[in-house]
Amino acid sequence: MDPAEVEFLAEKEMVKIIPNFSLDKIYLIGGDLGPFNPGLPVEVPVWLALNLKQRQKCRIVPPEWMDTDKLEDIREQERKLDTFTPIPNPYYMELTKLLLNHAADNIPKADEIRTLVKDIWDTRMAKLRLSADSFISQQEAHAQLDNLTLMEINTTRSFLLDSLNYMYKLRSNLQPGRSKDY
Amino acid sequence: MPCERKPMRYGHSEGHTDVCFDDQGKCIVTCGSDGDVRIWESLDDDDPKSINVGEKVYSVALKNGKLVTAVSNNTVQIHTFPDGEPDGILTRFTTNANHVTFNNSGSRVAAGSSDFLVKMVEVADSSQQKTLRGHDAPVLSVALDPSDEFLASSSCDGSVAVWSIESQTQVAQWKVLQKSSDVTNAKSLCRLAWQPRSGKLIAVPVDLTIQLYERNTWTHVSTLSDDLITQVVNVVVWSPCGKFLAAGTVGGNLLIWDVEAKLCIDRQKHEKGFTVCGMAWHPSGGRIAYTDTEGCLGLLEGVSSSSSTVQSSKATAAKEANDYDDLFDEDDDRMLDEDMSDSRSPVKKPIMEDEDDDDDDDLMPATGRPRNRGSFLDDDDNSQDPSSVKLDGLPEEGGSSAVLPAVAPVVSRPVYDGPMPTQPQRAFQPGSTPAHLMHRFMMWNSVGIVRGYNDDQDNAIDVEFHDTAIHHAMHLTNTLGHTMADLSQEAVLLACEGTDELASKIQCLHFSCWDTHKDWMVDLPKGEDVRALCLGQGWAAVATSALMVRLFSIGGVQKEIFSLPGAVVCMAGHGEQLLIAYHRGTGFDGEQALGVQLLQLGRKKRQVIHGEPLPLSRKSYLAWMGFSAEGTPCCVDSEGVVRLLNRTLGNTWTPVCNTRETCKSKSDHYWVVGVHENPQQLRCIPCKGARFPPTLPRPAVAVLPFNMPYCQTTTEKGQMEEQYWRSMLFHNHYGFLSSSGYEIDSESQAQAEKEQQELLMKMFALSCKLEREFRCVELAELMTHSVVTLAIRYASRSRRMALAQRLSELALEKANQLQEEEQEDEEPAYQSREYRESNQMNSRQAQQENGCEEEEVEEEEYPQEEQMDAEESTETRKKFLNPFKKGGKSPEKPSPKPVSREGRVNPFKVSGAGKSSGSPAGQPRTTNVLDSMTMSRKPAAFSGLSKQSKAPVLKPLAPKPKSKTQATLLQMSASKGNSKKLEDSQSEAEKVKPAPVAATPPVLKENTENKKPKTGFQLWLEENRKSILADNPDFEEMDVIKEGMGRFRTLSAEERLNWTEKAKGDSDPKKRKREDEDEEKAAEQMESDEASAKKKKPLDSSAKLSAFAFNKE
Repeated sequence: MDPAEVEFLAEKEMVKIIPNFSLDKIYLIGGDLGPFNPGLPVEVPVWLALNLKQRQKCRIVPPEWMDTDKLEDIREQERKLDTFTPIPNPYYMELTKLLLNHAADNIPKADEIRTLVKDIWDTRMAKLRLSADSFISQQEAHAQLDNLTLMEINTTRSFLLDSLNYMYKLRSNLQPGRSKDY
Repeated sequence: MPCERKPMRYGHSEGHTDVCFDDQGKCIVTCGSDGDVRIWESLDDDDPKSINVGEKVYSVALKNGKLVTAVSNNTVQIHTFPDGEPDGILTRFTTNANHVTFNNSGSRVAAGSSDFLVKMVEVADSSQQKTLRGHDAPVLSVALDPSDEFLASSSCDGSVAVWSIESQTQVAQWKVLQKSSDVTNAKSLCRLAWQPRSGKLIAVPVDLTIQLYERNTWTHVSTLSDDLITQVVNVVVWSPCGKFLAAGTVGGNLLIWDVEAKLCIDRQKHEKGFTVCGMAWHPSGGRIAYTDTEGCLGLLEGVSSSSSTVQSSKATAAKEANDYDDLFDEDDDRMLDEDMSDSRSPVKKPIMEDEDDDDDDDLMPATGRPRNRGSFLDDDDNSQDPSSVKLDGLPEEGGSSAVLPAVAPVVSRPVYDGPMPTQPQRAFQPGSTPAHLMHRFMMWNSVGIVRGYNDDQDNAIDVEFHDTAIHHAMHLTNTLGHTMADLSQEAVLLACEGTDELASKIQCLHFSCWDTHKDWMVDLPKGEDVRALCLGQGWAAVATSALMVRLFSIGGVQKEIFSLPGAVVCMAGHGEQLLIAYHRGTGFDGEQALGVQLLQLGRKKRQVIHGEPLPLSRKSYLAWMGFSAEGTPCCVDSEGVVRLLNRTLGNTWTPVCNTRETCKSKSDHYWVVGVHENPQQLRCIPCKGARFPPTLPRPAVAVLPFNMPYCQTTTEKGQMEEQYWRSMLFHNHYGFLSSSGYEIDSESQAQAEKEQQELLMKMFALSCKLEREFRCVELAELMTHSVVTLAIRYASRSRRMALAQRLSELALEKANQLQEEEQEDEEPAYQSREYRESNQMNSRQAQQENGCEEEEVEEEEYPQEEQMDAEESTETRKKFLNPFKKGGKSPEKPSPKPVSREGRVNPFKVSGAGKSSGSPAGQPRTTNVLDSMTMSRKPAAFSGLSKQSKAPVLKPLAPKPKSKTQATLLQMSASKGNSKKLEDSQSEAEKVKPAPVAATPPVLKENTENKKPKTGFQLWLEENRKSILADNPDFEEMDVIKEGMGRFRTLSAEERLNWTEKAKGDSDPKKRKREDEDEEKAAEQMESDEASAKKKKPLDSSAKLSAFAFNKE
């Protein structure tokens, strides 16, 4: 999966918007949305929210976790612990990116949030690389990684798997006799 | 000689403060760590003049119109007083000055600073400075000798020094203070004070005492102390006469000594025990103003009684008291605003200056003072908790009454201690935040938001629409200073109150106007101010201070004006309705006495509510008033109780929600912005720790459900009752709307009605379960006819024959009623009907279609089921039934209805037959029916065939009402189809009409017709309209109908019958199809049931019921 695909999945997440138009319920394959009353918050998928936002048909209400205080707490937690901490939203990175890119004006302290999320992301990626490193160096057969988000898994998957494959090949070349068993 | 302590009020943000009086004693001037100097006309001045002089102000002094402040930018500045214009910098230090003071004449200023220096500057020429060096630590305080010879200073180095001004040398020094490194660490501010006039003594606060030193000898003369002082004395001040000395301590004690007698004549305690850091004696000696380190300002009153009697005559004292009265007259008016902004909280904000004096003085001329104060306290506290009022109030009362004789010896009347009148709440715009805020919502309603900004850079109004399709957002400069606004789909209405020069103005931006002049403005007559305003559809209303309501058209035409019986509180408009709340009288003990008027301003103007009292919760005031989106008046009081007008119960107000129940903490509130009846939504903004939201960050609207305070809503019964009545209440608007000629959504109305009947049926079943048969009948009385028949079936199946019998009587009654109404309808249907009991009305619509079949059902069933029943009842029934048949039933026959009738009739018949046979076989049969009902849900239940117990009977409790639902649904779809058709034909008929008819009647008619099935007469009329019109070309619609009616009556009975049949004959194919389906389903069920072979009919119906249950699931 490439990041765009993950982002596509993230667009299914629900977000609250305050529409400035009036529309009855709309019936979509994924479920019914609306009714849209001007001024009244309503939950819609991110893709629709962004679409409406781009047409200036709504204001987006930032998700609850998209708040500097909460993100700071998470960042601290993330830095303190060696393992991955639970994240408020499985698509936190994608949503932050999407919402901040398209609706920064509706999100208070957008810049701070961007930095905070980036910090969290960096911390987690560092942890991931570190654990991959120790996984390989200690030649473990398996490892357990909890609370990883899809995007995070995707960033390392191809690289890690490929390298593991190569390493396996290299190792089996070292012990040709053994490789035949397989 | 006790003096009276006034309650503290918020003056500045937390931190060091200082206070002084102006020369005449008219104003109190305070400074604080927020960098502002505030000029208060009285303690209760809610709009003090604020002068920002710097980041922090350490000390303030005022003389001869010069305001000298020690500011954190290390300067001592002058501002003019009272204008507050900067008037230059007097002197500078290397760090900030701690204390500034004037000499007696006001020609010099002395300042002591943290850089150890004391400077003396000529006010007229700041270049003439004298610097006194000698302290080894920051200077705490300076004091100038009244005769301008000496200067005293205290410092953190622990010394108090006296300097000769002339020679700039120390003439005396006492090391009496505790040393400290900095002012912030100093235990005491050690404010020194020379005795005024003679300057004979200098008072120095030393620890818990005050040392008095004599001039010239500089020896310690005496010490003033008191047991009450437990903490260091901070400030001392002399009375202007020089006989008394007041001191404020760190512990919040305030003491006054008679210096000669060394007698402590008064002891007061700061109400919260905060440190007193500033004190000033009123020039006439009557009062002491003091401030604390929390930024609050307080006043000691009645100190004059001691000093002034010595100092001056009683007359002046009395006069002074009068002045004082005047000063405080205005406070009452503001109480409510203070209430609204949560008066006791320290964030009390200055509130807009206003307005005509109150007439409390007239009420109790002589005892005006304590009375005012009493109500003041009451008011202030009643938003919090009443008990604290008493605690606070009592000592006050005691104190004041004791003082009174001294202040105004004339007073000897008994003090009134009955219920206190409440200050009438001030007029407000529903959906606005208080006017004194710099950024506020001037209006938040279902159309949009009007925000007002009034800060340094900008005085502007932003108008934003929830629905951008109405209009784009607007930004207006607010040059006129509008404070009130309303917003509708058509226009923005703004108004400002008048000033001395300018009249009160109303401005309307009529953006939906099609010509080029989008706005208009109207000046009110001189002296008349706008108090409240609102917009309706095509009109605007303004209530003024002259107790008048002025109506305008939306284009600016002045229309009716009328007087109100009392001062307006607020107004709301919706469509053609105008709702006004006003003061009906004086409330007592925290209650408001509000009245409400509801006017209909349309074509037919009338008053709907004639000034009935508006119910509010105890000790609360009106917080919001308006209309639901559907047009039902609604109000919210300060206790968060939302009430909705119940039009079907004589315009009573029903509480539908208590927003405070959903609040997490006590100080949280919901700020209501809108009420919707369908769906049932209370739109409001949750406010943490406040009554209203700030403009930024933009608050989000939350939706609260309604919840009527019915008893025992934890039980199923209570719950259903609440649901039922709530549903009834919230669907009243259909009746109102249709009666006032609006189109209504018949689908949702049917839905609502279905829901109500469903609930009734559930309650019925529940009561059956509880063996409450009487209650069952009571419930059945609320049901529509068709549902009653279902209930009968239910009752007879659960072998409650007595109940079934009573119910069938009831059903009969209902049928009769129905029939009568139908007959009535035949004729007056075309007149705009007054809204009648919605229940019956609704039921009628639903039933008319199938009412006759049900009748038939009963008819068939009665002879069997009630054989033992009295003969006569059957006869009367028949008597009633027959004419009904003629009207309704016979036309049914050619329609596909009989099919469904069969389905419905038979099951009942069987149960009846089973009974009539009286054989035990009848019982299994009934169970059979029930079993097959439950079977579709749980096929296993079929095994319980032989068991005739209550349990299986009760099982279908849930599916039961559903089956009914299905039935009504069918009917609805049918009637809908009919009405649709009708509309079509109606519009056709209108096309035929030659003369343009006024717009309303056709709409009206259509509506009324929607609600009932087409009659033969209508069909006939459509065909014959032309001829009638040809005969009488000048006829209006009404006349046509009347004429038509006359003609129709002359037709023979047969002809009429033909027409009626025609009318009934066109029930639409859709319905037939549905019914066929139902029948098919029923048939399938039937096949699946082995026991079905012989008894088609019962199975038919039961199967049908079960099918419904299945459907529902």
